Amino acid sequence: MTHTEKRILVNKLVMILSSLSAAVGIAFLLWILSVLVINGIDAINWNIFIYEGAPPGYEESGLKHALIGQLILIGVSTLIGVPLGILAGAYLSEYGGLKSKLANVIRDISDIMMSAPSIVIGVFVYAMIINRDSFLYDNWFSQNIWSGLSFSPALAGSFSGWAGIIALTIIMVPIILRTTDDMLQLVPTTLREAAFALGAPKYKVILQVVIRGAKTGILTGVLLGVARVSGETAPLLFTSFNDNFLNTDLSEPIASLTVTMFNYATSPYEDWQKLGWAAAFILSMFILGLNILGRLLLHTRKKK
Amino acid sequence: MSTIIDIPEEKAIQVNNFDFTYAGADEPNLKNITMPIAKNKVTALIGPSGCGKTTLLRAFNRMHDLYPGNTYKGEIIFEGRNILQEKEDMIKLRTQIGMIFQKPTAFPMSIFDNVAYGMRLKGIKNKTELQDRVEKALKDAAIWKETQKRLKHDANGLSGGQQQRLCIARAIAVEPEVLLFDEPTSALDPISTQGIEKLIIELKEKVSILIVTHNMQQAARVSDYTGFMYLGDLIELGKTEELFVTPAEKLTEEYITGKFG
Repeated sequence: MTHTEKRILVNKLVMILSSLSAAVGIAFLLWILSVLVINGIDAINWNIFIYEGAPPGYEESGLKHALIGQLILIGVSTLIGVPLGILAGAYLSEYGGLKSKLANVIRDISDIMMSAPSIVIGVFVYAMIINRDSFLYDNWFSQNIWSGLSFSPALAGSFSGWAGIIALTIIMVPIILRTTDDMLQLVPTTLREAAFALGAPKYKVILQVVIRGAKTGILTGVLLGVARVSGETAPLLFTSFNDNFLNTDLSEPIASLTVTMFNYATSPYEDWQKLGWAAAFILSMFILGLNILGRLLLHTRKKK
Repeated sequence: MSTIIDIPEEKAIQVNNFDFTYAGADEPNLKNITMPIAKNKVTALIGPSGCGKTTLLRAFNRMHDLYPGNTYKGEIIFEGRNILQEKEDMIKLRTQIGMIFQKPTAFPMSIFDNVAYGMRLKGIKNKTELQDRVEKALKDAAIWKETQKRLKHDANGLSGGQQQRLCIARAIAVEPEVLLFDEPTSALDPISTQGIEKLIIELKEKVSILIVTHNMQQAARVSDYTGFMYLGDLIELGKTEELFVTPAEKLTEEYITGKFG
């Protein structure tokens, strides 16, 4: 074999291998999606939106409790997480900058937080809020320092919606914070200077000009953050737990689509498994929608 | 060695022995600048890239304070006070001395809100007053015709030249005493440039103007006085027609005849 022939052969080999690998990846994705769509559409009917959880075998059983619970959990954690994340991102970009050591430490920590297993955050909230006593050891530190640290004694002792919301917010904030930070840094310096040159104080420059200038980018970050927490099960398993019926009291356990899906899908009853498929389908479509919306926004931003 | 003429007109600003040093620089980037800026006249600053003309311009509204570590020495006297003093109120100073940047800096809001921005900062809330003053500013900046029907539209939909006029309208809406122009036409096409130059000449009835330009013809067209800067020194300040025809300094002559720069 001549040198040229060998080169052509290797060329083809690499191309075929990489195309195959790509095809395998896409095939699995399509497989998952098609199974989800086929089973999901089959499982969806009006009852799902009308009825709450019921024992297996009942016609009148649905996901209303989980849908509403999920919306409340996501809605409230978004309400808390978005302002926190945006303001923290504004701190990094506008007060810290790229040279500030503190800002860079915060950036690194939030990058780590973003890839932290979400179950760890669930355990943390469980330990800090719900079941603190079981984590108190018989030593000075535990009895004097650790026992004094708590989010709120009122929430101790019971699974609650608030605990779930705190866990979801902890997951959401680093995502929004980092996107906000990145997007604000893309705003041209002259825009800030122009606002200062009109006599604007710094907080007005940030809130009225810089954040506004990056609003599509920030909104994308918010959507991605919301999409991320929407699919979380682990941090809810031992925080907001679950409820088979509709509950809107956040100091009580509350149903979510993800935990409901987990319970129903692993149950031995066929009608419950069907509800699990329906929950999976609805949740996936919701997250897909958020992701598409986020990408569309990013796309229109680039075109400008 | 430098030649700075004395001006007969009233002075809007007087700079005395002004040194400026950027954070981390070993020696001053602007050295011992002394110059008057005439009231209701246009003063242009010319010179090769890196000579310090923009640096000097940005000292008049203390833009350098936005970045830590920059130091001023000497005096810039404006309305009887040295604006380089610690106690100077930046917010007040910047409403009295406005600035137009090289690239148009329309804020991400409507045309109306852009022009009203500075006035709202000053605390003007009355709707009719805002409307009247926005209209007047847009008329003064010669952009009323194009914008009167779309005041509520996003300012970023305007062309580059229109945005630059909008920025001028925004700056004059707060009725400053002095306007600083930092190469205001370098990002614009010739027709927009012509419009902005005409506007600058009209505006001097109301404000004193200092303009930095890398374009000598522009300085000759719009200014009454011209200063030539080189390597952080103000080499010469004179009447524009004299400086371009019979410069006092050899360096100035070499620059305006194109021997360097």
